[in-house]
Amino acid sequence: MTETKAPMVNRRDVLTGAGGAAAVGAVAVAVPASEAKAAAKAPRWAMVMDLRACIGCRACTVACKAENDVSLGRFRTVVQEKTWGTFPETKKRFLPIMCNHCAGNEKDKVPPCVTACPEYPGERRKWTIPSGEKIRYRHGATYKRPDGLILIDKELCIGCGKCLDACPYGVRSFDPFVKAGKDPTEQAADKCDMCAHRVDNGVEPACVNTCQGRARIFGDLNDPESEVSMLVKEHNLATPDYVLLHEEGTNPHVFYLDPDGVMKTVYKQREKGKLDHYVDQIP
Amino acid sequence: MDTARKDLADKARARMQVYGLLAAIFRAAPTQALVRMLKAPGFTETLDAMDLSLGAAFHQAPPEDLAQELSVEFTKLFIGPGSHLSPHESIFANVEGGEGGLWGERTVAVKKFIETAGFTYEQNFTGLPDHVSVAFEFMQKLAAAEADLLSGGETERADWCRRVQGKFLAEHMVNWIPRLCDAVIDKAELPFYAAMAKLAKNVLEFEQQTIGGEVPETV
Amino acid sequence: MTRLDRRNFMKLAGASSAALAAGAGASGQALAGTADIPSKEASGIDFSPTTGKQLEAIPSACWQCVTRDSIIGHVEDGRLRKIEGNPNSIRTLGKLCARGQAGVNQVYFPDRILYPLQRVGKRGEHKWKRISWDEALDTIAAKLKELRDAGTPELFMYQYGRHKASQAATMYDFMAAYGTKTIGNHTSVCEAGKWVGQESLWGGMYDNWDYDNTDFVVIFGSNNFEAHTNHIPTAQRLIRAKVQRNVPVYTFDVRLTNTAAMSTEWVPINVGHDGLVMLAMCNVIMNEGLFRKDHFKFMRVTKDYKASVDDRIAAVTSQVAAFTPEFAEEQSGVPADKIRQIARDFAKANSACLVTYRGTVMHYHGADQERAAMLLAAITNNLDRAGGRVMGVGAGWKHPSSPVAEVHKSLNINDGFPGEAAYPTHHVSHQVWPMIKDGSHGRPKVYWWSCYNPAFINGDNNGVAAIMADESIVPFQICTTIVYDESSQYADIILPDVTYLERWDWEDMVSANQIAEFYIRQPLVKPLGEARCQGDVWPELAKRIGFELAYSSKEDFVRQSCEMTPGVKGAGGFEYMKKHGVWHDPNAKPNYGFYEATVDTSGDGVILDDETGVYWNWKKSGAKDEAEAKSVGYLKTPGAKKGYVAQDIDGTAYLAYPPNTKFVKAGYLDFYSDNFAEKGLPAFPTYTPIPEHTKKADDELILTTYKTAVHTHSRTTHCKWLSEIKHDNPAWINSKTAAERGIKDGDAIKVTNGTGEIATTAYVTEGIIPGIIAISHSLGRQQSGVYGSGKASPTPGGGAADPDAKNKWWDKHGVHPNVLMANWSDPISGTMRWMDNVVRVAKA
Repeated sequence: MTETKAPMVNRRDVLTGAGGAAAVGAVAVAVPASEAKAAAKAPRWAMVMDLRACIGCRACTVACKAENDVSLGRFRTVVQEKTWGTFPETKKRFLPIMCNHCAGNEKDKVPPCVTACPEYPGERRKWTIPSGEKIRYRHGATYKRPDGLILIDKELCIGCGKCLDACPYGVRSFDPFVKAGKDPTEQAADKCDMCAHRVDNGVEPACVNTCQGRARIFGDLNDPESEVSMLVKEHNLATPDYVLLHEEGTNPHVFYLDPDGVMKTVYKQREKGKLDHYVDQIP
Repeated sequence: MDTARKDLADKARARMQVYGLLAAIFRAAPTQALVRMLKAPGFTETLDAMDLSLGAAFHQAPPEDLAQELSVEFTKLFIGPGSHLSPHESIFANVEGGEGGLWGERTVAVKKFIETAGFTYEQNFTGLPDHVSVAFEFMQKLAAAEADLLSGGETERADWCRRVQGKFLAEHMVNWIPRLCDAVIDKAELPFYAAMAKLAKNVLEFEQQTIGGEVPETV
Repeated sequence: MTRLDRRNFMKLAGASSAALAAGAGASGQALAGTADIPSKEASGIDFSPTTGKQLEAIPSACWQCVTRDSIIGHVEDGRLRKIEGNPNSIRTLGKLCARGQAGVNQVYFPDRILYPLQRVGKRGEHKWKRISWDEALDTIAAKLKELRDAGTPELFMYQYGRHKASQAATMYDFMAAYGTKTIGNHTSVCEAGKWVGQESLWGGMYDNWDYDNTDFVVIFGSNNFEAHTNHIPTAQRLIRAKVQRNVPVYTFDVRLTNTAAMSTEWVPINVGHDGLVMLAMCNVIMNEGLFRKDHFKFMRVTKDYKASVDDRIAAVTSQVAAFTPEFAEEQSGVPADKIRQIARDFAKANSACLVTYRGTVMHYHGADQERAAMLLAAITNNLDRAGGRVMGVGAGWKHPSSPVAEVHKSLNINDGFPGEAAYPTHHVSHQVWPMIKDGSHGRPKVYWWSCYNPAFINGDNNGVAAIMADESIVPFQICTTIVYDESSQYADIILPDVTYLERWDWEDMVSANQIAEFYIRQPLVKPLGEARCQGDVWPELAKRIGFELAYSSKEDFVRQSCEMTPGVKGAGGFEYMKKHGVWHDPNAKPNYGFYEATVDTSGDGVILDDETGVYWNWKKSGAKDEAEAKSVGYLKTPGAKKGYVAQDIDGTAYLAYPPNTKFVKAGYLDFYSDNFAEKGLPAFPTYTPIPEHTKKADDELILTTYKTAVHTHSRTTHCKWLSEIKHDNPAWINSKTAAERGIKDGDAIKVTNGTGEIATTAYVTEGIIPGIIAISHSLGRQQSGVYGSGKASPTPGGGAADPDAKNKWWDKHGVHPNVLMANWSDPISGTMRWMDNVVRVAKA
């Protein structure tokens, strides 16, 4: 059985954007273990999108492309925009969307992309949190890590595309440059992994790092003092109006801080079998 | 020197010379001096004997004009602007993961290979580390070292040189240079570079059968 | 061919050896050293190349736009992988925009020019041969030496689009040492009118907006959230002020920009009426007594220099009396009540920023509209005060200088045709090519341009292209560029430029927090191919022509500058900057209220001018003696402004607002401007309708242009991640205006006027005022590689030295609206009247 370790994350640095030293990117030095605080339980990573602060600049979209070398023709995150109303009472607003790193419904405890994966549930694995406690989880080509991240193991992927169809948000695509590990005649599935390679090294995701308005706030919901926890609590965000497609029962962990109620107006859902809604375009 | 060793040494020296030619041809457009040497009967007759025609114009044109024409052709083929063949391993090798492009993963791999073998890149060499001419020059230098070692009786060390060449040939050159050559043959307007590309392709094929064949899989 | 066998291989070797004899082989070697061959005993071991990745994080500076953010480049095994903001920068606070994030694309885009090229066909025939740098520099040096030796160095013209900080300093240094002052820029297509308006008032230019401390923001014609000359430092502070401190933001714009969309309110306004609405706001503020007296003592509002503050208040009130909110509503379309409300809130706010940019100034009398903005800021005491419109603060570097040539002169083709512009202090760059064609003011024999694309960015750009293509006009043209574009296709020699990620610079862009930041740019990776920095070319070229420069390379220039600049030197000089990238004085306080500084006037030669109340040092003015200086007076003594010391205000000598550039003025904010009056221009800010708009037929529309969040004007279309998001630019048109023409969303349309014609599609939207169309001006490239123009063929190795090119999914590349723009100039500033053009729009 494979064992992996939960990141020794210096939460403060991640949550505050470090205001400096730790926020230096893809190949930044990891926070030394000695500095990390032992956490009592595994983190539960989440993101809050403050729609009051998104100015539609697309720095996140491009930062993600650069960080993850995302090929042309597909995205791991996009900003949707919409203009509505009649001149001169016209409005325009922006909605950053990405993988919601859903918790899944009560029954499955994993989101539909994971249940759809023929390689799930696979091998049993253990995840070690900073306190030394081990958490067991089931691996798969698409799986949920105990810190809540929905990840893809491209080595196990068979390129069947079932997860692409199963995701109600349509945030998955095939990577034209990576073959499915278990079936080299197909391409592997790909999507936002919350920059796990950065997060695991104590650095916030690339999109968060460059967001001008701090419209993207990343952190640990299991830490009641984290900014995401406080925002979720203060604005009551864990409710149907502040997540996308609540009715799908996916239990998303990207929350929208949206006092003006624009999320539902701007959101363009996927059309069945298509991903056109997930191509970032400025009109 | 025993016959077998002398034979190996001669072969190494010959390979050094052929790679030297290819390095020169693919490094830059030929100088007038080189054009003069290429027009000399010794060279053209050898090529003719191999059915590699450089065309009537090559024989007739004065060296100044020919050098100018070849310079334009070289620029069109390998430099641009516009559609051209970027003669680099990172461009022509099949790479997974979208890591191609100038100074891609293959560039780094070539650079590390060459540096591990003991060479450094010249300060004033302005090309990229995985330029096709660098691969030829690397082989030229290793073949030269091999020939010298054989002449000095250091068979084991010469074997090492040959094995490194075989490995470079197998892991790098044959994976992309034939594709580049095909593209050159397809795109060239004058017979010269098409002929040189055919030649290069054949040399690599010949090499694979000879030194390539002598290299054990594990190396 | 015949297959190779041992026999013909050996023959081939012999022939090769003969051919390569006598040094006729490869031009130089790529590899040095010898094989590191193991000993006999160890030679049996497998050869395996080293693996381990070498990772570096190197501080440097962006250049995608003129904001020039400090960055960190993450480099893996010599390849640039990722760029992030530098978290230690007080300007950017570690943020970077979409363009900056796409900087990696600049280095590795597939169509990059990497070798010096010489034209072999006709201009524009696209036939080139590679030449060596030595050949290129020898050829250029010979041409330049000939001009210099003949005593006509001015016949060498150099023109740049973006040269800043040390990139500009090294270039100007070389040009001065060589002897030409014929140096063109690009500012008249940028925002020159804004600077001229400001210089006529507070002497200098570049306003910053103190968003961190402001309580109220009003924006005219500036899309701060998408594009700005100080984008990242200001935009993030503005949205933070709005979200975190609930600062109201009102944006007047013809279009629902991202800035307008994320403001408290978008206030639609007719094209060219920003100044009028500002004057109407002044009208409300003066009539309702909402002004603040504080700044009036620094303002000159009538001919009388010594008017009392009360007189000045009365004069301003009467000057703006005609601009009632009702009159402004009639002309601008902004409801009078809205003007009143915003004016009141603006005046009552503890502090307020008045923001303007291209939308305000790229017009007939655009410079005067900027003067109206300054008036509104001044009467509410929001000039150079915390939370207001403040004078920008940037780093002041010291740097080495080379001796200036004995003959140092200029062709008079930089400031427009005679009489075209009264105060072209930032030149009339869009007229350089028309003037070269005209020829009556001289023509350069050698024209060299860099980081500039005149056949794309100017008005009537196709007209410019035709002039550049004509070999009989300028016989020798050199272009330094990274990309084959609309202009470089007409060069005689193309020199491969480095990208900004491969070169050295010191940088100095303005801080948003009023504390100067010193920062540098250093190479993240070795230049690809034979790309070479201009700052490394100058010393080489100087040597060939026969003079020496004070530096041997750009790196040397930057090193010397770091050791010469006091604060930076104290911090550790060049080595410190290489390590940290940025430095600011930790004890510095934000710089506000420079005009309030009191000045010692006891110096030798300082006299008080009776008429104006200016203390000036006649010894620095060029006057013969004190008696002559006194009798001629400050204003009439040529060169007097060089001796400006202070302005006497009620018996106190204040630094006030010293004169600068071509404006001879006292230390007051010259809202009444003799400079303007004597040239027949409005002496006091006023409303001047745009002639072409007044004359336009009812069915004609006004053409405006804009930038989006992911492009600059002309230097980003080859960046694949940016063009993927924005590659087509349909014309924005209001639903009502479209309906009148039977145009539906997505319809093909034709846009025409006397200058040109384009075919595009309509984007029918409620997000634009009726009566105009708006087309972004970054697209419609003829060239710029596969991502920008679709031109280079996406086949392996060709235009597609990037495997991702086969994933390019878009085949539209937009249209270029400059085809429709005349090269009209603002008669005040010479700025190009970018937003004054009128077009007809019809369904195609």
